[in-house]
Amino acid sequence: MTMIQTKDVTKVYQMGKVQVHALRGVTVTIGKGEFVGIMGASGSGKSTLLHMLGLLDRPSSGSIALSGIDIGVLSDRERARFRLKRLGYVFQDYALVPELNVQENVFLASMVRGTKMLDYLSSTAQILALIGLGDRMAHLHNELSGGEQQRVAIARAIVDHPEILFADEPCANLDTASSRTVLDLFKTINMEREQTIVMVSHEEWHKEYFDRVLTLQDGLIIADTG
Amino acid sequence: MLTVLIIAMVFTNMIFMPSIVMGFIKNAEHQIITYSTGNILVEPVKDEEYITDVDSLLAKVNRVPGVIRASAQYSMGATLKNKAYKIGRPVIAIQPSNERLVTDVSKNMKEGDYLGDGELGQVIIGIQTAGHKDPTEDMGPTLGAVGVGDSVTVEYTNGVVRNYRIKGIIETFSYSADQDVYVTQEEMESVLGHPLDVATHVLVKTEPGVPEAVVKTQILRFGVREQVKTWQDLLEDAMGRAVQNFSMLNSITLIVSLVIAIVVLFIMIMIKTLNSRRQIGVLKAIGIEQGIIINNYLLQVLLLTILGIVLGVVVVEGMVAYLTVFPFKFPDGDITPYVTFSDLASNTVLILVAAMIAGYIPAWQVARMDILTAMRA
Ligand SMILES: Nc1ncnc2c1ncn2[C@@H]1O[C@H](COP(=O)(O)OP(=O)(O)OP(=O)(O)O)[C@@H](O)[C@H]1O
Ligand SMILES: [Mg+2]
Repeated sequence: MTMIQTKDVTKVYQMGKVQVHALRGVTVTIGKGEFVGIMGASGSGKSTLLHMLGLLDRPSSGSIALSGIDIGVLSDRERARFRLKRLGYVFQDYALVPELNVQENVFLASMVRGTKMLDYLSSTAQILALIGLGDRMAHLHNELSGGEQQRVAIARAIVDHPEILFADEPCANLDTASSRTVLDLFKTINMEREQTIVMVSHEEWHKEYFDRVLTLQDGLIIADTG
Repeated sequence: MLTVLIIAMVFTNMIFMPSIVMGFIKNAEHQIITYSTGNILVEPVKDEEYITDVDSLLAKVNRVPGVIRASAQYSMGATLKNKAYKIGRPVIAIQPSNERLVTDVSKNMKEGDYLGDGELGQVIIGIQTAGHKDPTEDMGPTLGAVGVGDSVTVEYTNGVVRNYRIKGIIETFSYSADQDVYVTQEEMESVLGHPLDVATHVLVKTEPGVPEAVVKTQILRFGVREQVKTWQDLLEDAMGRAVQNFSMLNSITLIVSLVIAIVVLFIMIMIKTLNSRRQIGVLKAIGIEQGIIINNYLLQVLLLTILGIVLGVVVVEGMVAYLTVFPFKFPDGDITPYVTFSDLASNTVLILVAAMIAGYIPAWQVARMDILTAMRA
């Protein structure tokens, strides 16, 4: 079953008079339950592609369908609902809400989704324990290390089992041991729940976790192991 | 917290300056009523110089419900002299026991005593006519600091010249009342050489709480032919311009404070919003709807604004309470700020509206921004 289908996706950034072609026509199909790694040099367009797939930005041309839904025709409001209900996203810069503590950051989205309080409190506690932050529930983001903030961002993205999990370099600030914890966790939910995961990485050794690797260069997919 | 403090200050500023101006106006009105005109002033029929048949007029007016007391005054032009000092002032003849019940001049004797009924050869004069020991406090020509027991020469316009002993000095802090010169009715009769059966005007004191206009209607209904004017009428006639200017000044002060309030609120809330741009971006990225984000944000602003207003009310009330006990000293007397409940209420509404607008526009702008731009902030 196809989860993600893109056709000739381009993205052009206008920087004053200069045009930056971040994506030059990406066509790819990703099925349910795939664990896909996007790799490539810095500036090759990895984050840009993930933004398009995660409904955070609109492509300059081309089309994207998620779960068979053409997201190009959705209104901003429908896209917001789509993100809230069906997607999980780990940002490269964590993007935690500074006024909220660890626990609140994790259950904020569940709360807005309308999950019962007892349910989201227990699932939040569970995921934080799993990711090694069980004793940091009441901390604010500025009381956490970069790696800890990154793990909070991961917990927030996966707590409600999204249809698709996007992660932009989720291990960038983690040591090898913590990275393995996160990747093992990803692999587990990928195997057990058929969780579709699209993850950006530039660490060669991460490849051992991926079912499939897409390599980007100058806004184009130059290699696809799938 | 800073937000709350600033809103409180803005609120205080909005209320406080106009309240001081209102304090001035109320003070001026109070002075006119208690020292110069009474609540109601009866003047001669148009084009006549005197009120005739004073006794029957007084009897009539004193019977009107709502009237505490009426007192007749007869005033004649004169020149007052002390050594080389010489000034023109009308001399007002009064019946002291009656006048005491109508004006508060008798309660504001700086030195010496008020006149007694039937006293001859005595005069009481206002401090602005007598002159201060320190001449820099004088606001016009004076007799050069005469005091109780000194004598002054009075040349009446009918040619009669008298030497009077100063019995008392009046100090009310009302500039016009502090220029007045009083003698008894009997003294004036001796100057005129015949009994005094006319008056230049009659001052009427009414009961507190009864509107002067109502009493005025009653007086006219009792068959008084003379011109009857409430102090409000007089203000409109004579001082109309000054009062208008005063209330205009007040409106300007209010508008300026309001503009300052709105600008300050606007800038402050704008900065606050722009600072939370990233946060709003994150919330949107998660998928929280724009409307929810804006409403939530406005709720925060509303809460802060209400806290600020509450603090502002406390500060204003505190200052008013303090200044009622320790008023500002002005040459015109003690000024206490005058704040009404409706001032507080209308300014509260104005600030709330300003804060909501000031909060909504930037929140809407930021919430409308595309997610990645907002998050990059
Ligand atoms: N908002 C933007 N405005 C202009 N140019 C941009 C913008 N975002 C990205 N770019 C450009 O688009 C290209 C692709 O950027 P992108 O962030 O997708 O790269 P990346 O592969 O994620 O790199 P990294 O590994 O460093 O995160 C780069 O040349 C970048 O400078
Ligand atoms: Mg990137």
